Amino acid sequence: MTWLPFIIIIPLFGAFSMPIVSLLKGKAKEIWATIISFTTLMVGIQVFREVWNRGTIVYALGSETPFGKANFPIRIVWEVDKFGAIMVLIITLVSFLAVLYSIEYMKHDTGLEKYYTLILILELGMLGIAITGDIFNFYVFLEIMSIASYALVAFRNDTWEAIEAGIKYMFVGSLASSLVLLGIALLYGQYGTLTMGYLAVKMSENPTIVAKIALSLFLGGLLFKSGASPVHMWLADAHPAAPSSISAMLSGLVIKVGGIYAIARVVFSIFLPAINLATVGWLVIIFACITLIVGNAMAVVQEDMKRLLAYSSVGQIGYILLGLGIGMVAYGSKIGELALAGAIYHIVNHAMMKALLFLVAGAVLHELGTRNLNELSGLAKTMPKTTFAFLIGAAAIVGMPPLNGFASKWLIYESSALFNPIIGSIAIIGTAFCTAAYVRVLFTFFGRPNEKVMRAKDPGALMLIPMFILVIAIILMGIFPWQISDKIMIPAARNLWDITSYVMTLMGGG
Amino acid sequence: MSIIYELIGLILLYIYVSITSLLFSGIDRKLVARMQRRIGPPILQPFYDFLKLMSKETIIPNTANFMFRAAPILMLATVIALLAYTPLGFPPLFATKGDIIVFIYLLTLADFFLILGVISSGSPYGKIGAAREVAMLISREPAMMLGVFSVMWGISKLGVKRPFSLGSLYEHNIWELGPMVWVAGIILIYVFMAWLASEIEVGFFNIPEAEEEIAEGTLVEYSGRYLGIIKLAESIKEFIATSLVVAVLFPWQVRIPGIEGYITNLMIHTLKVFIVLFIAKTVFRTVTGRLRITQAVNLLWTRVFAASVVGALLLVLGVRI
Repeated sequence: MTWLPFIIIIPLFGAFSMPIVSLLKGKAKEIWATIISFTTLMVGIQVFREVWNRGTIVYALGSETPFGKANFPIRIVWEVDKFGAIMVLIITLVSFLAVLYSIEYMKHDTGLEKYYTLILILELGMLGIAITGDIFNFYVFLEIMSIASYALVAFRNDTWEAIEAGIKYMFVGSLASSLVLLGIALLYGQYGTLTMGYLAVKMSENPTIVAKIALSLFLGGLLFKSGASPVHMWLADAHPAAPSSISAMLSGLVIKVGGIYAIARVVFSIFLPAINLATVGWLVIIFACITLIVGNAMAVVQEDMKRLLAYSSVGQIGYILLGLGIGMVAYGSKIGELALAGAIYHIVNHAMMKALLFLVAGAVLHELGTRNLNELSGLAKTMPKTTFAFLIGAAAIVGMPPLNGFASKWLIYESSALFNPIIGSIAIIGTAFCTAAYVRVLFTFFGRPNEKVMRAKDPGALMLIPMFILVIAIILMGIFPWQISDKIMIPAARNLWDITSYVMTLMGGG
Repeated sequence: MSIIYELIGLILLYIYVSITSLLFSGIDRKLVARMQRRIGPPILQPFYDFLKLMSKETIIPNTANFMFRAAPILMLATVIALLAYTPLGFPPLFATKGDIIVFIYLLTLADFFLILGVISSGSPYGKIGAAREVAMLISREPAMMLGVFSVMWGISKLGVKRPFSLGSLYEHNIWELGPMVWVAGIILIYVFMAWLASEIEVGFFNIPEAEEEIAEGTLVEYSGRYLGIIKLAESIKEFIATSLVVAVLFPWQVRIPGIEGYITNLMIHTLKVFIVLFIAKTVFRTVTGRLRITQAVNLLWTRVFAASVVGALLLVLGVRI
């Protein structure tokens, strides 16, 4: 008996029952969404523990085994290894906090039954990506996630910027998805299977040019979804325009699950036997360096608070891609292992701190109605709790030692400096920009209060609780950085590298 | 069990360093007065000042936020934590591999808390002082970091138990590395003296607190207890920064086993700190006036940082050859 199916069943049930539940007047839909996402969080924790105790889970839809009478997988399989389990945990956690936060944050908006349906579908799509072991199933979940996020970015459709950002995101996003679909079509035409593990087997027997073309299409599409630098423009518009609870999910989760996780999964679990990993790795590293510098440097000059956070997300994606890229080039070595563990760790950390920062930005926006940093001087006077949360989030993202951002960035710095000192120094330059951006915001917040700010006050408990859960998580994770890294992140990185066991669990685990 | 001993050690060190550093500032004031043919205050004057500040009424400005009150405490806490990583004639209490980064981080963090508290007062004078403090902070630290890292790298080549730990400074020192490194060492003495003067903000570098220009700048809004705490923390920080310079450049100690060895070494270390501070603080602030902020930043980057680069390169070449 595995808990895994419930991770899809529960959000799906919640989303589909939402129109009916919302026929009840009052707070029914908010309560229902909270219950559903909380239950999903519990199942997520359970799945995480299950994977940690018993190793990779393989689940075939419709039967006991993925094989019918054939000797190759014919059913859709879900395969959750340690990396997938970490993603499941962080997705369910941040989504629950975002839903909880929405109750107060979204109360002035209309059409909330659609909002909660979409947010649950967004969560569902991301969870699907994290658990699936079937490449077409992956595409379906990718589209579920993407379409829900297009709709959520443009949710406040009475504002011009939401529509503008939504259209931009949708046009380029569907192009990127179609690249992924084209890649899948090519792979299916060449190899005749859609199961990831079995594709790896077929590909190792017969590496062809088609596989390489498919990989380049995948990388193109997925780098877009992750907001890597030349194609980060949608992100800088979409994050500010979306409601803040959605920005927290977009920035904390969507770009990592739909982008980074998918790249790691596709490269390490499908293409590893067929390609030269160093080439792909260097490609990723080049994008990472550009992303790192562009994202962080653009964050320094922003005057819009959420846009600053969005560019900072781009910059942090650069770190994660850097770790991933070094993990590919230095495959099988100690440096690569550290880098990959650092990337996975930073995914988790950045999801928490960026979610926190966007929730803070949402609270400011909710109380004051402005995102312009020049008008927010002296916020600490009237919104002390919110400012404190921001202080912790900013310190964590810069990477100050008693907080969680330190260890993950340290792993990435250390591995990149050992790998290539030039890349290490690029990472340091990125951090310098990042520090400048956040110190500037802090100086604004702690300055002399202006008249507009004097009328503000801290938001209600329902908005503060999610923020402070994240603050506590950030501090607690910061106290035990190396234990987490040794017990969770490094095993996850080893697990991700180990394609043999990925395939063996699929094929032999029937 | 050892953690309890370390905590007791930290408390004792804190008491010792508080008293010593206040005592030195009394001596410093006396010496400056004598250099100007004045009699000067009694040597214990800083203690009276501290007690008086603690007993005074503390005024919180209307525009101040929570950080105004928290910053002095956080600053003092950071400085006390820093003591556990400071070489004081013997390896630091919490010496581990790579603890130099913690040291630099905490030293900078103390300044950062002060800046945050000053900004939080809402006073425009404070804001100008804080902006100057940030400019100085960014300009002075790279020279020191380069110097310390190159020295530690050079020492780690001689084989030490914990590379890049401040404890390793007592196993070997840079003067053992040969004639080329002696030249580098002399350049680094200049760099570290300049860094120390800018860290404790005296002489040329007494810019963020410039009384005549911006009315005490950083500390303009602080009064009473908080001012006393900040003065104490700055005084301890002065001792710690000088300890770093002493440990990096002049780490010679005597070898006596047992507890009296620790005490003797602490005394020798304190004496060396006093000598270094006498040159970098007392003499420097008597014979020079303050620069403008642009001049100071320019000086730190073109004269001090450049010298640090030259020193580091010479050191690296000296070790390699």
